[in-house]
Amino acid sequence: MAKQSSGILPASFRDPSGFLFTRNGILLRQVNRAYADDYARLMESGLYEKLVKSGLLIPHVESNAKPADVSTAFKIIQPERVPFISYPYEWSFSQLKDAALATLSIQKRALRAGMSLKDASAYNIQFIHGKPVLIDTLSFETYREGKPWDAYRQFCQHFLAPLALMSARDVRLSQLLRVYVDGIPLDLASSLLPVSSRLNFGLLTHLHLHASAQTRYADADVKSTAVKGGMSQNAFIGLIESLENTVKKLEWKPSGTEWGHYYEITNYTDSAFDHKKRIISEWLEKMKPASVWDLGANNGEFSRLASARGIATVAWDIDPSAVEQNYRRIKSEKEQNLLPLVLDLTNPSPALGWANSERDSFGQRGPADTAFALALIHHLAISNNVPLPRVADFFADICQRLVIEWVPKSDSQVQKLLRSRKDIFDAYTREGFESAFEARFKVKVAMDIPETERRLYWLENRT
Amino acid sequence: MHFTPLPYLDPGSGSFIIQLVIAALLGIGVAVRASWSKIRGWFGIKPKEDETDDDGETK
Repeated sequence: MAKQSSGILPASFRDPSGFLFTRNGILLRQVNRAYADDYARLMESGLYEKLVKSGLLIPHVESNAKPADVSTAFKIIQPERVPFISYPYEWSFSQLKDAALATLSIQKRALRAGMSLKDASAYNIQFIHGKPVLIDTLSFETYREGKPWDAYRQFCQHFLAPLALMSARDVRLSQLLRVYVDGIPLDLASSLLPVSSRLNFGLLTHLHLHASAQTRYADADVKSTAVKGGMSQNAFIGLIESLENTVKKLEWKPSGTEWGHYYEITNYTDSAFDHKKRIISEWLEKMKPASVWDLGANNGEFSRLASARGIATVAWDIDPSAVEQNYRRIKSEKEQNLLPLVLDLTNPSPALGWANSERDSFGQRGPADTAFALALIHHLAISNNVPLPRVADFFADICQRLVIEWVPKSDSQVQKLLRSRKDIFDAYTREGFESAFEARFKVKVAMDIPETERRLYWLENRT
Repeated sequence: MHFTPLPYLDPGSGSFIIQLVIAALLGIGVAVRASWSKIRGWFGIKPKEDETDDDGETK
């Protein structure tokens, strides 16, 4: 992760309550004196314990480490490490929906303990062992009767607007979150949503009317003219429950997936498929990797060879339907260690936010111990015209070790890609592939996959 | 109405106003539901599971 020389993480500067920093490779959070009362309330009201027990809040221990900024410090805490930081524009529909519901569930529990969430950023939620968890321990403040929810707009921009657009318009609109780092502007969401969304009471009020109110009252001075009496606790609860009902009703079904029936239409026989699985399983036993990135993972069939061995695994795929199916399976089978994410490898997640250093790029979150590139090379080299040496350079930057499948031109999947275009890929040969990759990797093992024309390589990074 | 400390997020003027309006409306529902369960309580009818809280789901 990018960081300043002080060790203070650049993503953590907005909230005066505290900030994250690293020392000797350990991630710590400084709690500032300004937050002392709220921190005490969180810990002493039983809220912390309840939330951690429910798996909704990241556990932490108090640390004796020296503060990063002594002048403001109250306490240093050491949160449990998140296996992999992912971002909302990399989540499938149900991942974003579950993150939204987790946020609201936390808010309801907080209210019962006399506290409230002072922010509702989707970036404060991370997936740990398949479930959404709030990672910002300093998000709580003491609830004061009458005070409206400061994070209402943020919740609508980070969660409700993208979910509504994905559900009612097109699932790919989640990518707007990549452009708008503080969530989708509500007037934009309102204009993109179909007219029929106005018949949905929750979307009508929290998105459409909300967007109009923002335009109409943009210059209103609410600090001096606000409604007397403010917002009762019943009104507050009504608001949270209404958001919850609205989110719960939003649905999206993965259909017509790019790879939907991929494994049924490949030229793999069942036994060839099993051979491939067996080879990779044997290699994993010997490699014992700390982490695996499965690139072009589809619905995670091969990722599970790693995650089932207790290896922290990220299953990346370009197709939101495949990622959605993968996530649903993780949920229904309560699988651990596997995180499915949406990624276009030909244009991976960039570094974003203030000074391009608030959100790490795809590469900055690596390198992975081991990467899988199974049935992927032809999509990069032929569909996207990337010369093989550049493909090798890319992989050498993101992993120590690579399990890659060579798919020759004679393969029916490659022939399919070439059906509608001129074959300009003279260098796309096994020899060309091997020499390109040997410049960056050492071949540890290579073997043909029985009953196919394909070949698997176990490569070790030369650096 | 003035609250201290000031929020670090800007709640947004329009968002602030519309929230008060929507929440006032929705709050009536919550108040009615609470009175109902009180009235039903007098007759010995306990609130349904889903009307209590969602702590139950993780027990």
